[in-house]
Amino acid sequence: MKPNNEVKAWSKADRKASAIAEFTLRQYKQKISTWVILGVSVVALMLLMLFYIDSMNQEIEAVDNDGDSFDSDGDGYPDGQERLYGTNEYSRDDNPGNFDPPIAPDDPSKWINEDDFEWDQITGNPEDYVGNDDDGDCLNANIPNSQKNQNDNTKLCDVEVSPNRFVPGYSVNADINVDEDPDEERYIKEAVHRAYVLGYGKMALVFIIGIFVPLFLATGLIRQEMTSGTMHFMIAKPIARGEIYLYRLLGYLGVAWPIALILVVISALITGFVGPGDSFFRFQDLRVWLAILIATWMAMLVYGALFSALGVMWKYGIILAIPFAAWELGMGFLSMGLPESPLLKLSVIGWCMAIIDSASIATWPELPTFTALGSWGGGGSGEFGIWGFSSSLPGSDVLDYIGSSPPFPGLAPMANVGVSILVLLIQVATIWLIAQSIFKGKEIE
Amino acid sequence: MIPDFNQVGQAQQQSWQPEQNVPAVVFNNVNKNYGRIYALSGINLAISGGVTGVLGLNGAGKSTLFNILIGKIKPTSGDVRLFGTNPWKNPSPYSKVGFVPEHEKMHDWMTAFDFLVTFARIHGMTRAEAEIEANRVLEFVNLADVAHKEIGKFSKGMRQRVKIAHALVNDPQLIILDEPLQGCDPLARTTIMNVIRELGRMGRTVLVSSHILHEIERITEQIVLLHKGQILAIGNMHAIREKLDSVPHKISIGCPNPKSLAKDVIQLDGVYGVTLPNKDSLEIHTHHFGLIHDQLPSVIVNGKHVVHTIDNPDDDLESVIGYLTGGF
Repeated sequence: MKPNNEVKAWSKADRKASAIAEFTLRQYKQKISTWVILGVSVVALMLLMLFYIDSMNQEIEAVDNDGDSFDSDGDGYPDGQERLYGTNEYSRDDNPGNFDPPIAPDDPSKWINEDDFEWDQITGNPEDYVGNDDDGDCLNANIPNSQKNQNDNTKLCDVEVSPNRFVPGYSVNADINVDEDPDEERYIKEAVHRAYVLGYGKMALVFIIGIFVPLFLATGLIRQEMTSGTMHFMIAKPIARGEIYLYRLLGYLGVAWPIALILVVISALITGFVGPGDSFFRFQDLRVWLAILIATWMAMLVYGALFSALGVMWKYGIILAIPFAAWELGMGFLSMGLPESPLLKLSVIGWCMAIIDSASIATWPELPTFTALGSWGGGGSGEFGIWGFSSSLPGSDVLDYIGSSPPFPGLAPMANVGVSILVLLIQVATIWLIAQSIFKGKEIE
Repeated sequence: MIPDFNQVGQAQQQSWQPEQNVPAVVFNNVNKNYGRIYALSGINLAISGGVTGVLGLNGAGKSTLFNILIGKIKPTSGDVRLFGTNPWKNPSPYSKVGFVPEHEKMHDWMTAFDFLVTFARIHGMTRAEAEIEANRVLEFVNLADVAHKEIGKFSKGMRQRVKIAHALVNDPQLIILDEPLQGCDPLARTTIMNVIRELGRMGRTVLVSSHILHEIERITEQIVLLHKGQILAIGNMHAIREKLDSVPHKISIGCPNPKSLAKDVIQLDGVYGVTLPNKDSLEIHTHHFGLIHDQLPSVIVNGKHVVHTIDNPDDDLESVIGYLTGGF
């Protein structure tokens, strides 16, 4: 045996790899079904995008969450203004008009959305959020200090965001009338935008595109050639069947991955321009979109390897894919509803979702604080709010459902991304090993 | 371990080398059965050099024999060697082999040239090498003028020639052709036969299967006769022919006046009987098939007989097998 034999085997192998991958790519290119799948997925996802654009363009009516724009005693001064000056909001005679000099009554609209969240305090560290009584109706209210410190900390009129004791996530413990009337427009648009990006990435791209594109494109990768008889040309060449399977998979990726890339780029551009915010384009979201792209690619890779392997195993291998797809569907929902379930570790989709979750935490470290504040929604006045019994702001519950924490909270978010990709690659390697040993021992006539 | 991105120069050979001084093809007591159906039983065969015809009726086991040889199916028992290597689960000997499958289906969307370049590259050639090789084999099978047409637009015979060309891209030592003449028009048949004979002259080992005796006779004299999964006869066609000559044959002659022809024919040596099945045909029964065919033209010319057809109804493979198995 000659010395640098390994190098030679490798150089020969990649000539074969490029030959088969290129052949497979061209084969896909001349098939009408490939173009139909690309067209249908673009159209379907663009229709979904219309809902997003519509919701972003909707006017969101400002709501007086704490009801202090109302003039309870009919003296012309809104309740909020009376609280601010310490007069009795239920007494017609006691109002700031009696002061010297007299204070003119405020327009009631001044007391709507008057105490917004402190946006600059919403950071990756929930303890950064202390809130601020912007309108002064807590600090100046005519109540004892013990009532101004209902959350029992060292500070009067503040907000505490602390981790839940038993379930993941955070909850808000606030003093009365602090951040009680947030700006709905600002919060809802941001929450809906984030929920949409995450939900669209997880459900539409990773789940639907990630399963159906391999289902249509990869199932026949080996089986179709075996059925039509054209596989006979290839298996009589000096190339291991495991290599044929691997290189054809590469060719399939050459078609499937650009499809995902096109879809993600279009979606990222639309949400980037249409999404809320002062800047021209939401550049920060691009990292989440990149994670969505990688997750979709990984889903296409693992499902593609699996479905083509099922096709190698059995002529009607697609039937075997059905129980598997059902399992993955369940796991897809579980990953959002119950993301800490250990069952997810046994699925493909769970790890793909973990890529997105981890990257979203890395990009939007304030996401847990942001979600918790929205669920609290300012606490309201305890009255029956316009949003139902809960004072939660719309968008926060969806965001809470769709956004999850990384699978290994002890690790940094990006390390979680790395681990998830590694696990998915191990899954592919396992599928390949099993499939190639089946393919190798298969009698092909 | 750096990938060969540049893809220049001759591909390096892998570690597998054919064993020296062994026949290209060896079957040692090979059996193949599907449940209780025996597709092949007790095949012993060693072939090296020249063109060998594998003859057999449909279902005789020709394709099974080739499929075992090319490692597509696994023998139930016995030992198969391709250049001294067992081909099952080991594709390395295929670098010295070209295989033309029986299957009709091809990649119709590709041009002949692209098809050949692709398969040359699977042999480990660079793109440039593969293109040179593709042009060479297209020239060899006489398809250079339609090289850049799609295979889907080709006639049956042209498709067969592309299939043969694809098996020659690696300049193989052993070429296996499974029914290469099936469905071809006479012109394509002649071209393909010439190609096969040429390969034999070049010193390659060629295995070609067919169920039509005349086709194989025109290509080679060395045959393996398969019947019901067993080797019925092996060796030179002439030897088998001579064996056949001693068994009774029928020659059927169509003519308007069979009775007068019968009178002349019955005089010939080797004829032991003449029958007149109907009013315009005649059947000659003989033990010396070749002898009758030598004499027959002069009898017809001298007797000024009018003859429409001369047919040898027994001269097909089925009858040959019938004689050899003693069940005619």
